Amino acid sequence: MWIYLLKRVFLAVAITVIAVTLVFMMIHAVPGDPAVALLGPRATPEMIAHLHREMGLDKPLAVQIVIFFEGLLQGNLGFDVLSQRPVADIIFEQLPYTIELIFVSILWAVAIAVPLGCYSAMRRNSVIDQIVAIMAVATIAIPSFVMAVYALLIFAVTLHWLPAVGAGQGFLDGLVHLILPAFAVGIGWVGYISRLVRASMMEILGENHVRMARSFGISEWRIVLHYALPLAILPTVTILGVGIAWLLSSAVFIEVVFARPGIGALIVQAVNTRNYAVVIGAVLVTTVVTVLATTASDLIAASLDPRTREKL
Amino acid sequence: MQSVSRRTFLRAGAALSGGIISAGMPLSQVIWAAEGKVLEVRSSGDLVTLDPAFLGQAAEVDLTNCIYSKLTRYKPGTEWGWELEAADKIEQVDPTHIRFRLKKGIKFSGDYGELTAKDVKFSFERVIKLNSPIKPQWGSLNHVEVEDDYSGVIVFNAPFAAVWLVPLPYAVGQIVSEAAVRKATKDGGNFGVKPPAFSGPYVLADWKPNQYALLTRNPDWSGPKPGFDEIRILPIPDAKAAERAYQAGDVDFTVVGLDSLAAFKSNPPANTEIAERASTRYTWIGMNMDHPKLKDINVRRAIQWAINVPQVLDTAYDGQSIAATGIIPPGIVGHRAKTLVPPEGDLSKAKELLEKAGVNGLTLSLDCTNDSQTSAIAQTVQAQLSQVGISLVVNARDPGTFWSLGVESEGDSWKDVQLFIMTFSGLPDPYDYVTWFVQDQVGIWNWQRFRSQRFDELNAKGLSINDPNERAKVYEDMQDLMEDSGAFRFLTNETNPILYRKTRMKAAMRPDGTPLYIDFQPA
Repeated sequence: MWIYLLKRVFLAVAITVIAVTLVFMMIHAVPGDPAVALLGPRATPEMIAHLHREMGLDKPLAVQIVIFFEGLLQGNLGFDVLSQRPVADIIFEQLPYTIELIFVSILWAVAIAVPLGCYSAMRRNSVIDQIVAIMAVATIAIPSFVMAVYALLIFAVTLHWLPAVGAGQGFLDGLVHLILPAFAVGIGWVGYISRLVRASMMEILGENHVRMARSFGISEWRIVLHYALPLAILPTVTILGVGIAWLLSSAVFIEVVFARPGIGALIVQAVNTRNYAVVIGAVLVTTVVTVLATTASDLIAASLDPRTREKL
Repeated sequence: MQSVSRRTFLRAGAALSGGIISAGMPLSQVIWAAEGKVLEVRSSGDLVTLDPAFLGQAAEVDLTNCIYSKLTRYKPGTEWGWELEAADKIEQVDPTHIRFRLKKGIKFSGDYGELTAKDVKFSFERVIKLNSPIKPQWGSLNHVEVEDDYSGVIVFNAPFAAVWLVPLPYAVGQIVSEAAVRKATKDGGNFGVKPPAFSGPYVLADWKPNQYALLTRNPDWSGPKPGFDEIRILPIPDAKAAERAYQAGDVDFTVVGLDSLAAFKSNPPANTEIAERASTRYTWIGMNMDHPKLKDINVRRAIQWAINVPQVLDTAYDGQSIAATGIIPPGIVGHRAKTLVPPEGDLSKAKELLEKAGVNGLTLSLDCTNDSQTSAIAQTVQAQLSQVGISLVVNARDPGTFWSLGVESEGDSWKDVQLFIMTFSGLPDPYDYVTWFVQDQVGIWNWQRFRSQRFDELNAKGLSINDPNERAKVYEDMQDLMEDSGAFRFLTNETNPILYRKTRMKAAMRPDGTPLYIDFQPA
């Protein structure tokens, strides 16, 4: 287990370094000068040159990368010269909003999808199973931002039940502001996870140890919950780890549609203004979040299934 | 542990009560239905800085107008003008000297004492010393002479007629406390988003990046009391999201997209006033005069005549914007009555000019930003030019890429630029519109590479004239020169459509629709 953990940590560091270096090179390859974008049309050539120096853009790309990683080793993500604030401050005040959005979206999606998947597997080809199948395909096919726009028009604009924008202030207000975005992000996952659970549950329910349990007269619900579900849930746990990366990209659209603060909206804004320091810092943090999520899902899967543990 | 205030308790209680939803009131509005008069408005972007020496975005200026004092300020209404704010008296002594006398008793927050002429000197001169991007707004400012605690003289190197409607009432004229800024920054430099002291009727009580900024009354403010106890500003960059936020009741004042104006007019939200104000933007199609394909003036003029501006505006703005007569918008000195080339153009005339140039089967490129409105303009122009045999390749680019294309210091892309769609935004003086097209700006912001000695002379002359009629003539002539070069096809100055809930407020705006929050009054 410890060797497995060490391997994962090494892999995580390597992925992060490669991702950040790639982004560093890509963002410099895109046409457009950050100084021009940041200072706007009223900037003189002297001001542009001055900003280049302040942002460190007057140095060769390789030197800029080395300086960034040197800073990183000292816990410094860089400095945003325009707002005169450390990049870490800017990112870490936005990150919690994205994390809470992803967490709540996954939570409600799993809470609904797993029972639906189990039920569908137990009552395969029933009317409910077929309805769930149709709904699942429909929700998977509709992009989250389309869902977001319609949810917003119905529940905020027409019915006036929920707020349309922002993240609210305080716990209760924050929760109210989270309903529509989390619905839009999570609904596709309900369909996806329910199909995934149904498929693996059907497979498990046909295995010998389940048949054995049935022959002992154990109730079907008990078999599903105690014997089959812990195994059937494994693919879902693994997928959720990878899904964090997908959810981070969904969050970009959702944060724009709902004018929510978050790392997605921050990256869009920073890319448009070629704010290199913020883009690199944000990509670094999202990479780390993704790597941590996949590692955590692997470890959870290992703890649920002794066979996986043995393979580590 | 945080204590539960009455407001928190009320919010929680209100949100939990089951009658909210059935009452048709948004939960967020109920939770925010705090005691006192609260103004909830949308801004088009979040704060990047609150230092008046570096303010670049309208959203920041709207906020800082509430927390800092200026010598003068814009008058709310439909005609451009100014009135006294921190100054008790201000006068032009001669073309390069302006004397001011401050009102007594304007205090900085945080025990930084009274606002004095020394603070005025510090605030104005630091914009120049710090080489701020907005330094050009101060024109030829040399220094400020302090006569006593309350009086001083602003000294320019050359006459600067734009001073009355550009630097003094605008953001760059906001006054900060020298003592507070020096304490916060050591060298008097950029203090970013943490104002060390306030001198306006409000203070910044809370700011959550990308979420909201909360202004509350400044307890040290001795001037006229503003109408609202709190102003809550929500940054909503996307215009469509802002429209939905207004419809949902999350904000009570917002600018909306021109393409949505017709829909709002035909089906206005309840209790809503729709105001349309002439904007200070200007959108045009520029042509690179140095490009081999566009060197012949007949080709450029053919393009001018081939573009039907009202048709473009019908497509891109749903017919809600009127054709521009030049770059200077209505209401500002120098606005022209009409263009040299009629807005509708004339295809036969365009074909004649192309024949005269001996051009056949011409293929050109058009660069523009990739937003929907600009893309719609590009597509319409593409269709129009095809009618005269010009094939147009549209390159829609992200803003970061687009704004570097014609800048010489950014590489050689300026050589390939042919046609482009530009939108600039100006301040309410004609100088701020024309100054980007002088010869010194070639390869910087003059992407047309338009060169005219006469134009440059008029640009200098316009700043030395105070008589509005005489000035207007100068700027009209300058726009004639621009259009006559064939390198410009003026499209529109746009209008700013604004929605606000008249049951909540009496809004106060500049002629271009920019909100002046301190003049807002509850309904």
